[in-house]
Amino acid sequence: MKIVREALAGTLESSDLMVRIAPRDDELEIVLQSEVIQQFGAQIEAVVRDTLAKLGIFAGLIVIEDKGALDCVVRARLQTAVQRGVDAWTADWSALS
Amino acid sequence: MSEELLSYAVDPAEEENERQEIVRLLARSDLDYEIGVEAFVVFRLARRLIACAGLEKNVVKCVAIDPDWRGEALGLKLLTEIVHLAHERGHVHLFLYTKPDNVDFFRCCGFYPLAVVPGTVALMENTPVGIQSYCNQLKKLRQPGDVIGSIVVNANPFTYGHRHLVEHAAAHSDWVHLFVVAEDVSLISYRDRFQLVKAGIEGIPRVTLHPGSEYMVSRATFSAYFFKEKGIVGDCFTAIDLLLFRNWIAPALGVTHRFVGTEPFCRTTHKYNADMMHWLRADVSVSPAIAVVEIPRSEQDQAPISASAVRRLLRAGDFSTIAKLVPPTTLALLQSKYRIERPTAA
Repeated sequence: MKIVREALAGTLESSDLMVRIAPRDDELEIVLQSEVIQQFGAQIEAVVRDTLAKLGIFAGLIVIEDKGALDCVVRARLQTAVQRGVDAWTADWSALS
Repeated sequence: MSEELLSYAVDPAEEENERQEIVRLLARSDLDYEIGVEAFVVFRLARRLIACAGLEKNVVKCVAIDPDWRGEALGLKLLTEIVHLAHERGHVHLFLYTKPDNVDFFRCCGFYPLAVVPGTVALMENTPVGIQSYCNQLKKLRQPGDVIGSIVVNANPFTYGHRHLVEHAAAHSDWVHLFVVAEDVSLISYRDRFQLVKAGIEGIPRVTLHPGSEYMVSRATFSAYFFKEKGIVGDCFTAIDLLLFRNWIAPALGVTHRFVGTEPFCRTTHKYNADMMHWLRADVSVSPAIAVVEIPRSEQDQAPISASAVRRLLRAGDFSTIAKLVPPTTLALLQSKYRIERPTAA
């Protein structure tokens, strides 16, 4: 799938995250800000990359403002943002879990 | 907080009672109500208005939380709501004005500082990669040389005065970067202004014409933020724009000089030019000082050529005088597209 418009999901409240995505031509740029970046930054980024790969997203600007969200929340918010930012949803739901 | 917190959007033009309460809430935080705000998000608890955040196009302002309700993490909720409301209204890239003391708070809400005037005001944007990626684009357009000139024009519309300014800058620089203000609030549309500048500077060597951006003389960088001490409004509102130029844009392009024409008519532009001398040159930034070169306006029949004079003549329909002040491309466009019907006697 291809991100065709800017989209937003999530909140800034504790244990959540806000995800903002935007179209990019060729590159995938992930900008992660987190209150727990020292301990979990690498883990969060791995979850983000894995989720995007499963969604078939290989280009885009992904800006994440994390407030200590669990991995499942990171996946859910990211999926929602992508769903809002693409024209046609072609990802396989069963492959996402 | 046992009572349920109500959160909703308010259109200040339609809901006078809500607006009055917002005015009082802002006053308790030493902020003035701004008439430009088109929508507010408000929180209400036990009928009492306890927080608000306003939106004027893509600029977040008038953010206040009742002093009695601070420390309850309402701010994160409030900023979440305003960001989503802005998104619904088509604004993704947001700017925010606040007092420098509050920068750390908004930093936790996904806003990043762009320019700070100590003790007065700070401008932030809601992305950590906004101005940086803009400057990365600019860096690709760097040119070698010891004297790298820059000019920012609105060109509403482009006149022989602008041409004279660009020629002068080009003659005294190794290269000139010319920017056209992108904000579309002028009589002549941005598209047309850009095309007229492009046509108007033809033949002048060593000039790069740049589209404007939100980081330069835009609604975001040039918005007045009304603090209690009204006297400082004028200063901080040029300071933010000029500090952005000095700290980000000029270093990206290696700009050493900024050229401006003297401003005999418009007080705002006159003040902007005067403030340039301070914010671009004085010891107010870690970035290198930028020389400001103010050159006298070129004249026609002993009167300085200015775009505002052209607009006055346009309203009077005096195209024969306009023809002496603007290049043929500008004249042709004004005649075909911006001819103003003279009001009938009334």
